[in-house]
Amino acid sequence: MNLAIDALIGLGLVILAWQTISGRSLFRGIVLFVVFGLTMALAWARMGAPDLALAEAAIGAGVTGALMLVAYRRLVQLHPEEPAQPNRRRSRLALPIAALAAGLVAVIGLGAVSAEREPGMAGLAVMSELADTGLGNPITGVLLKFRNLDTLLEVAVLLAAFLAARTVFADEEKSPTPPRGDLPLVGALLAIIIPLTILVAVHLLLAGSREPGGAFQAGAVLAACGVLLILSGRLQPATRMGLAVGLPLVLGLLVFSLVGLAALVMGAPLLALPGLWTVYLIETAMMISIALTLVLLFAGASGLRRGDS
Amino acid sequence: MNTAWLFVIVAALLFGIGVYGLIIAGHLLRKLFAINIMGNAIFILMVAASGSLDGSPDALPQALVLTGIVIAVSATAFALALMVRLYQLTGKATLQDDEDADD
Repeated sequence: MNLAIDALIGLGLVILAWQTISGRSLFRGIVLFVVFGLTMALAWARMGAPDLALAEAAIGAGVTGALMLVAYRRLVQLHPEEPAQPNRRRSRLALPIAALAAGLVAVIGLGAVSAEREPGMAGLAVMSELADTGLGNPITGVLLKFRNLDTLLEVAVLLAAFLAARTVFADEEKSPTPPRGDLPLVGALLAIIIPLTILVAVHLLLAGSREPGGAFQAGAVLAACGVLLILSGRLQPATRMGLAVGLPLVLGLLVFSLVGLAALVMGAPLLALPGLWTVYLIETAMMISIALTLVLLFAGASGLRRGDS
Repeated sequence: MNTAWLFVIVAALLFGIGVYGLIIAGHLLRKLFAINIMGNAIFILMVAASGSLDGSPDALPQALVLTGIVIAVSATAFALALMVRLYQLTGKATLQDDEDADD
């Protein structure tokens, strides 16, 4: 029975991926890609990886979908008459190459699955080590205790991607302001949704040390708040990045680096986190930075300012 | 046949679809779909092949994949910016070689 559910999800993934690739309309492709991401989240949940399910739903499907929709809208705005020409390359080699690639992945995967496992594998060693750290969630534990440099650089990559995206549009004229949300229900709806979303984000952050969750999932949920505020005109893209935006943008990198260096000064290895409170401190700073970076990527702007409402 | 085998097969199929889409796609946005699907296929492969589906949870591949998801979004965001910029400058969202190949 369980296998049947997994098979259904797997079949859904394959069909959605094929539809995303082969569909005619670009817009339909984006929507199908978001559905693909949500189905991926289901698959992660079935595979016993709730952290990945949360990340996939919030970041993989949500943020990527929003960014793709914004890019699509800009393409349409630039040339409204022909937004997407359904052109496809013809290539006789495409199918054999794809089949070979799929075969390669299958061989690697099946080889790894059927391989004999030694009892002293790294994962088990990590699990026993993590029991002493007070971090009940092994994923957060691994990310912050054993792969802390990777996690630090991951935040740096996100920041670098944002800066690179801004550099590409360096000489762009001011992007058109989105339509003002004048509908009477928008304000009331935001007044309910925004606090609830912030609550969910903070819960994901705090729960991240014990249960599924963490800074990245929380940051993506928090970013949804910013996206809502931009769409309703409460926040407007700005051309200049003030200190109020710039400082939170690098806060995650800054706090993580400072705590890591402080460990070095105190004689511990670089980036060794002395206690649970530093984990919360770093995760909070990272959440703020991640959320702001994602919102700015969505807005396609260097800064944000209050809407005149 | 168990869950791990099933998801390895799904990963292989997804990767094949991604490679196929990457080759035949004309529009750059479609190429981005394809690259993201390939990435997701590898993520599934890493978790499914790690043996964590068979009872013993292994946090390492999951943590690696979590990092991978964030990096994938970062790269996609930058690629989307490049695509929009290319469209602004040339009026096309395809690569030069693709147009030649169509002739």
